[in-house]
Formats: sequence, C-alpha cells, structure tokens
Amino acid sequence: MRTADRLVVQTVRRGGPWLGVLAVTSVIGAFAELALPLVLGRTVDSLVAAGPEGGSWLGACAAIVILAVLCDTLGVWASGSSSAQASAWLRNRIARHVLGVGQAMTRRFSEGDLATRMGVNAEEAGRAPESIVTGATLIIPTAGSIVALTLIDFWLTLTLVVGLVLIALVLRAFLQVSTSIAGDYQEAQSDIAARLVDALAGARTIAVAGTADQERARVLTALPRLRLHAMEMWRANARAGVQAGIVVPLLEVAVLAVGGLRLAAGDLTVGELYSAARYVVLGAGLGAALGYVNRLARARAAAGRITELIAERPRAYGGQPLPAGPGTLELRGVSADGLADVDLVVPGGYAVAVVGRSGTGKSLLAALAGRLVDPLRGTVSLDGVPLPRLSPEALRHAVGYAFERPALIGGTIAGAIGLGLDRPDPETVRAAARAACADTFVRRLPLGYDTPLDEAPMSGGERQRIGLARAFAHGERLLILDDATSSLDTVTERQVGRALAGELHGRTRLIVAHRAATAAAADRVIWLDGGRVRAYDSHHALWRDPCYRAVFQAGAP
Amino acid sequence: MNRPVRRALRSDPYRLVRLGAWSVAETAPALVIGLAIARAIDEGFAAGRPGVGFAWLAVLGGAWLVAAVGARQVVMAVAAIVEPFREDLLAHVVEGALQRSTTSGRGPGTGAVARSNLQVELARDAFASVITVVRSFVFTVVSVMLGLTTLIPEVLVLVLPPFVVGLGLFLLSLPALARRQRAFIMADEHTAESLTDMVGGLRDITACRAEDRVAATVGLQVAEQARVTRSLARVTALRTVSLAVGGWLPVLLVLAGTPWLISRGAGAGVILGALAYITQSLAPALGNLVEGLGISGVRLRVSLNRILHSEDLPRRPAGRSPSKGTSRGAGVELRGVTFAYGPHAEPVIDDLHLSVPEGDHIAVVGPSGIGKSTLAALVTGMLRPHSGQILVGGVPAEELHPAGRTLIPQEAYVFRGSLMENLTYLAQAPAAAVDGAVAAVGLTALVTRLGGYSAEIHSGMLSPGERQLIALARAYLAPARLVILDEATCHLDPAAEARAEEAFIRRGGTLLVIAHRLTSALRARRILVMDGTSVRLGGHEEMLAVSPLYADLVGRWNPSNTQELVP
Repeated sequence: MRTADRLVVQTVRRGGPWLGVLAVTSVIGAFAELALPLVLGRTVDSLVAAGPEGGSWLGACAAIVILAVLCDTLGVWASGSSSAQASAWLRNRIARHVLGVGQAMTRRFSEGDLATRMGVNAEEAGRAPESIVTGATLIIPTAGSIVALTLIDFWLTLTLVVGLVLIALVLRAFLQVSTSIAGDYQEAQSDIAARLVDALAGARTIAVAGTADQERARVLTALPRLRLHAMEMWRANARAGVQAGIVVPLLEVAVLAVGGLRLAAGDLTVGELYSAARYVVLGAGLGAALGYVNRLARARAAAGRITELIAERPRAYGGQPLPAGPGTLELRGVSADGLADVDLVVPGGYAVAVVGRSGTGKSLLAALAGRLVDPLRGTVSLDGVPLPRLSPEALRHAVGYAFERPALIGGTIAGAIGLGLDRPDPETVRAAARAACADTFVRRLPLGYDTPLDEAPMSGGERQRIGLARAFAHGERLLILDDATSSLDTVTERQVGRALAGELHGRTRLIVAHRAATAAAADRVIWLDGGRVRAYDSHHALWRDPCYRAVFQAGAP
Repeated sequence: MNRPVRRALRSDPYRLVRLGAWSVAETAPALVIGLAIARAIDEGFAAGRPGVGFAWLAVLGGAWLVAAVGARQVVMAVAAIVEPFREDLLAHVVEGALQRSTTSGRGPGTGAVARSNLQVELARDAFASVITVVRSFVFTVVSVMLGLTTLIPEVLVLVLPPFVVGLGLFLLSLPALARRQRAFIMADEHTAESLTDMVGGLRDITACRAEDRVAATVGLQVAEQARVTRSLARVTALRTVSLAVGGWLPVLLVLAGTPWLISRGAGAGVILGALAYITQSLAPALGNLVEGLGISGVRLRVSLNRILHSEDLPRRPAGRSPSKGTSRGAGVELRGVTFAYGPHAEPVIDDLHLSVPEGDHIAVVGPSGIGKSTLAALVTGMLRPHSGQILVGGVPAEELHPAGRTLIPQEAYVFRGSLMENLTYLAQAPAAAVDGAVAAVGLTALVTRLGGYSAEIHSGMLSPGERQLIALARAYLAPARLVILDEATCHLDPAAEARAEEAFIRRGGTLLVIAHRLTSALRARRILVMDGTSVRLGGHEEMLAVSPLYADLVGRWNPSNTQELVP
C-alpha cells in the first residue's frame, strides 16, 4: 500500500496551484461557517436590545457571509479543476503504461477490470487531493460546533453525540438490507438484458417469422418482478432516509427545549439559543466529514488498484533500423512459458506452417516471432538483428500480424487497415484489402473505406479479412498469420491462399494452421508437440508419420 | 422527447393527487418551524412560562414526525410515478433494438444493450430526483410564505425580493449550466468508450506498433474531458452566487430590518422564527432546486435523448401487410433485381434474373460477402430491391404472409423457455409431428440428453451446432412451402449436415440452400454460382463447364481427403 500512498502524493502534487487555492478557501470558509451562528446570535441580541453596537455586529455578519460565499465559490471551482487535472494526468499515465505493457496486461486483469481501473478508479484517485483538503477542513466547523455547544451547555453536546450514534446505526442497518434487495433487483434486470441479447442474436429469424411483437413481450417477461424489487428498494430507501432525516430536527427541538429552560432562568440569551440550535445542525455535519474520510479511503484503494497496473513492466524498444535483407527469421535457444528450446531458421521468403494439437504453443511461437511477447531465454532475430534492438518504426513496417479474432481500431475501415502507419496512402490500403479479399465487400459499405467501424458491423469472416489486410499493409518482410483464416469459407480461403502464394510471395510467412492443405502448400512445417519443436521439415516428408497425420484428424470438429 | 415524461405524469392523475397530499405533510415543518420557535420564546420561555414553550416545541416536534411519515409516503408516491416511466422506457429500448435489428439485420451488440439499460436506470433516478426536488421546492416556498405571513406579514418585504432575484439568477444560468453538464456527461462516456476500445485491442495495437498513435488519441479524449470538467466547475461555482442572493441576503435584510420589525410589535422570538424559516427551510429548498435541476434535470434530458434516439431510425418497411399475400405455390421469380446498401455503395445484386419453379432445390455457391445472404433477404422480403421485382408464388416477396416461407440463418435463435416452446415457435404442432421433425433432422440425441421437450433451455447451455439443429427442427415443422437455409448447418459436421439437408429435401417444397461447404452443392438439383462479376445457374456438369470458380472449387475438392471439407 506504500506505493499506492506514493501515487496519492504524486496525484496531490499534480493537482497544481488549484489545490493551494482549494486549501486556503476551505480553511477560511470553514472558520467563517463556524463563526456565523455565534455572530448571528450576538447580532440578534444587540439588535433586539437596541444596543449601540448593533450596526457593527450587522456589518460583521455581512462580512462573514460574503467571505463564506466567496470561499465557497472559489472552492467549488478549485476542487473541480484540481481533480480534473489530477484525473487526466493519472489517466494518461496509466494509458501509456498499459499500452507499453500490451497484451500481457490482459493476462492478469480482465478487459472489463482494466477499463474500470483506468476509468472509474482513476477518477476516484484523482479526487484524493480534493478529499484530503475538504475532509480535513470539514473538521473545523463540525468539531468546532461541538466545542461551541459545550461552551454553551454540556448536556446539549451529550444529546448531540447520542443522536449521531443513532444515525450511524440506522445507516448501517440500511446497507445490510439493501444489498440483498439489490441482488434480486439486478437479477431481474439481467434477465431482461439476457433475453434481449438472445433476441437480437436471433434477429433474422424473428424478422422472417414476423414475430417481433411476441418477442418484445418475451424479453420483458421479468418486468413485473423488476417492479416488485424496485419498489422494495424504494421502500427500504424511504425508511432509512426518513429515520436518518428525523434525528437532527428532533435533536434540535430537544436542544431548544433545554436551552429554553435556561433562557427562562436567565442563563441564556435569545441569541445564544439561536446559536446553539444552529450548532446542532452544523455538528451533525460530522457525519459528512466522516464521509470524506471514507472517500479518501476509497481514493487510496483506487490508487492501490492503479499501482497494481503500473507494477507490470512495459516493453522497451531499441533504436535500430532494419538492414536490407530477405526477411530471414532466426530463433536461437528460445524458451517462454509454454514453449522450450526452440532453435530454427526460417529462410527469407519462405512460407512456413506451424501445426500441432491445440495447447502446444502455436500461438505463442507466432507471438514470439514478431515480438508480440519477449522470450524468457534466447533470441529472436530478423535479418540478423535481435528484435528488441529494433525501433518501433522498423518493426511496424517489417512485421504484420493477423489473428483469428482481430480487434479493429482506428476509426474507419481504412484507419483500421493502416493502423499506426504514417499517413497510409489509399492505394496501399486498397491493395492490401484486395489481397485479403476484402476490397469487394468494403466497397459495398455505405461509405466504402471511409465507413466508420461502428457503423459497419461485420461477420467473423469479414473481420478476419480486414485483419489480414492490416497485416498485409504492415508486414513488408514478415507476415505472421495466427489462425487468421479460420472463419473464411472455402472459396475465400482459397483466394487468400492464392494471394499469399502470389503477390505476397516475396515475404516470409509464418502461418499457424489447422488444415492439412495449408501445411501442404507451405515450403516447410514446424510441428509442435508438448511445447517443443518435434520436427521441422516439409509436409510431404512428415506425412509418412502417422502421429503427424493424427494432428489434423484430431483438429476436425 | 418529453413524451415519456408527460405520459408518466398524466397517465394516472390520482398518483399526482396522492403525491401532493403527502407533500403537504412532508412540508409541515416548513409551515410551523418559525411560528413555533417564535411563540415558544416570546410567549413561553422569555415570558417565564416554560410550559407554553414546551407546548410549542411539542408542536414543532410533532410537525417533524408528521413530516417523516409524509416523506416516506412521498418517496413511495414518486416511485409509483417513476417505475411505470422506467417500464415505458425499457419497453421502448427493447422495441427499438428489436426493430433496428430486424429491419437492418444488424442489431446493437451486447455492449449497446448494457449501455441503454444503464441509460434507462439513470433516467429513472434523474426523473425521481427532479420530481422530488421541484415538488419539495414549490411546497416549501408556499409553506414558508404562509408561515411568515402568520408570524409577521411585514417580513415578506425583506425576504421575498432577494429570494425571487436569487431564483431568477439561477434560472438564467440554468441553460449554460445544462450545456456544460451535458458536455461533461458526453465526454465521460466518450473517454470510457475509448479506454474500452483500447483495452480490447492491446494485442493488435502492439502488433501494429501503434502504441504512440493510440496513446495520443486517448490523450486527446482525456484532455477534452478535463477541459469540460473545468468548464463545468467554473459555471457550478457561479451558481453559489444565486444561492447567496436567494438564501443569505434575506437573512441579512431581516437582521437589518430588526429595529423596524420590533417597532411593528415583533419580539425577539419573532426575529428568531423568521431566521429559522429562511435558514432551515427556504435556503435549503433553493439549494436543492439548484442541485436537482442543474444536475438531475440535465442527466434526465441526456439519457432520454439517448434512449429515444432510436426513433430516428427507419421504421419497418411500409406496405408489408402480411395478411394479404396468400401465394399460389412456392416458385421464386426474380426480374431485373438490383440492390445496394447505400446510395454511394456498389450494388451487391445487379440486374439479376432468376426463375425457380416450385419444388426445385438450389444451392447457392460463392465467396462470403458476395451477396448470398442479401439474396436470401431479398427473397424473404426482408430487404426490398431498388429496382426489379421479386415474386414468391406470384405474390411480391414483401407482401407474402410470413408463414409462406421460412429462412434459417447461420446464427440459430434459441430463447429462454422450454424446448417444446422453441420447437413450436413458428407453428403449433401435435406431438407426433414434433417427434417426426426431431428424428428427421437428427435432434433425438439432444432431446434425450436434455430430458424431454419440457426441459428449460437457453442458448448458453447449447453448442452452436445444437442450436442449429433446434432451428432446423423448428423450420421443418413450419407450414412454409419455401425454405431457405442460409448456411444454417455450418456448425454441424458433414454427416449431420447431410442428414439435415436430406430431411428438407424429403420434406418437399422449394429449397434454397446457401452453401457453406461444397457438398451442399453436390446434393442440389441446380447450382447458383455468384463470383462477384456474374451470377450463373445450372446443373453440376453445366457449371463445371461455364464457371471457372466452380470448376476450381470442385477440382480442389478431393473426396479422398475429407479434411478439405472441414472448416
């Protein structure tokens, strides 16, 4: 947790000058708030008594009110600005870090978890400076009121403390009730969502059958249940809110009663009675101050969750360009978690298939070959240069990856294909799309290549083809296809295969494959078995081994 | 966009009456607080009669208890208004999503569903908060004014003008505040979206070495959010001015006017009472109104906008009145059909002529994305051609009764319910017919495994292949004379696919199979080959001769190596 605290401190510093403004206005505002009931009470007393200093008390009142309002105004501005600045700094820092670590991040944290940490948690941690200042200064009026009340009458303070304990108990009881009700409520909600998702997946069936109205009723089956649980929540809410809300006014009445007796006895002025009543209300604000402590605890917890992200080491790039070469890929003594002692050379321009039963490290080998991940031991080099020495620019233009389920980012179709490239020219993008058999369907989209990705929902096969086009646009020397044609129908796969053997012929190709035909079409086959290279030879030569043939039979669904 | 709000408020006037009645109870303290304090001091404690003082304080305490009961009932009355409102919105979301996905074939994804559910939730909470705050403000202001009038009417001169000015200032600043609050909500959502996209694409970003590029894009969004947040903080800060004028200025004026009020007969208690009215009731009500309208009101508008946005989308194609089109037979006729997905997009189907007599069995072959599913959608009337005509049994496709034809898409629809409900989704059928269909398509093993037709099923518990078998059995039971299988067997193994297709061949009627594997073509009577440049129809031998694509496919297909057929 120490690193989390350090992060909180760093965040506090990033709040900038605004934080100083917030601190100053909070402290002054807090004292003004504390002084106000006292001064108001005195003013009433002197005005009622028509004393000579009535005017100056009134002036003091006006000054304190103006001061409090000014401090409040500046404070709201400063707290909003400082937490905006702190959150933005945190978010940028985390985003860069997460990008630097890359996919390794998703192995430890789920995608939803990551997004939450970068979004909500960064926001909470960014509020740390503001929570510290506001929480700390809130002690002044609340604790001060209790002191002031005690100075007026000790028994009033005792009544107040009992009341606060009551509030705390009520709120705790509410939290216990609401979690179980909330569970039922969320269950009903997710039932509706799940049915809707089902129906949307079956949209074509529903459209053809003309049963949309029927489906609407089916999706909303849980609506009465939802209403029932929602009303229970409202009821619990109402009960707790009312119970908590009645305590302070009743305390105030009690204080007025006790104070009234002392007033009758001549021990208290009317003004002091007013002050006492106001101090009860202010002192009850201690609950809110405790809320700020809670907020700080949350900010600290959020910072802790963010620190866990920052603990992952990002990947470092070298600065070397890639010398001219045919694209020879060399793995020397490479071991990684799931793959051991890989030692092989893929000659430049070769097409090499990677085969093996599932779970034998095919994807890992593909990831190692283009530096998607780094090996624990050994070196991977391209045309004689170890990959970690290459600059990101060199890697970006030399290596192209295509995946089974590509994630498409970059705004538009063209942006997704040319992701990361400096001003990719439209012809490169189109040529890559043509080679991947994507050109035809892209041109049929409403805005062709400029169609925004979220307006172009694509089938699995279409996404794979955009992913292939992206790889073709990037990997001028080495193409790594990790099961990247699995969703293509026979016809399209054949056409992509033709492009790989034709216009992309000069590039080194590493193809993770499940089909015998793909292996047969490759120059060589890397046969992985149990996390090791079992053989590295031509498909023809390997086919004689029944164990090798069994790899393909087992792969059939 | 205010329609759901209006509907919620007007649908049941009794609810509003109830809300109003309990609101009176809830604001009882705002009516008596100053009066009770004034009388307790002036006629009780200060006059040496503590009994009277206690009595007035008891009245105040009683008012607070009545208020507590009232507040509880108010919450329930508000709930009674906003829960139907939420149901209204939820129904709208469901209907919109269904309509969009059934008209375009492209529905919102799971993420979009979750987002709209969240918006509905936010809208409900915001609506509840707006009702609560506005109502409480109105009742409190009226109560306080009545109370002050009873206490000493002259004080209204000191309280009312600054309060009205403060309220006016707030209302004037409301549009600017609303704009900023709206921008803030949008920026927050955009940042969340761009972070989610980034996290989902980490592997691909590394693969393209686009870390810097993406960091810069995300950075822009983050900076924009920070800018908007600061701008909101600035305007929010200014609204304290209206609170100061409306809430604090009356206090100062009452104090300044104290000598005058005393000269009009007020005691010290009356001054305290007036101050209590202002600081305990009036100022908090104004503060809550400012918070409530400035934040919840804007939230409500934004969420409603988001939810009702779907109304801009195309309605169901007009003129599709399924009642009228009773077809004569189930032959399919396409005359010069052209279709494109947008005015600037290239046509997917271009001047297609096709004649399929009743009882024919055709396989459609071609690379994916070439327009096979579009053709299926046109024949079922889901899409309408830009030019040309499509007739099914002599009736225009879009006018045909849904029972006249059926289409099984690749993504089989299985809903939460019993297996029997799922099987008889398209048509009621006697048990014997269901048994027959189940046996014909090869679903028997699954029925046994699930434990009979009454088993409750949902899509998550079935494999894609099992879902397809259920969809096939369902279509088999349907009365339709035209059946289109749009890669409906792609998740089945070749043997199961053959069995299912042969069941439909035996079933009779016109059969159109969009082939995922070449074997489907070999079973068909005629083959329609779409290769992007032309569409050709003919028998196997004929297509071998005229279609290079088909010949290539068949040439590559080697019966001795079935691996080729397994995707």
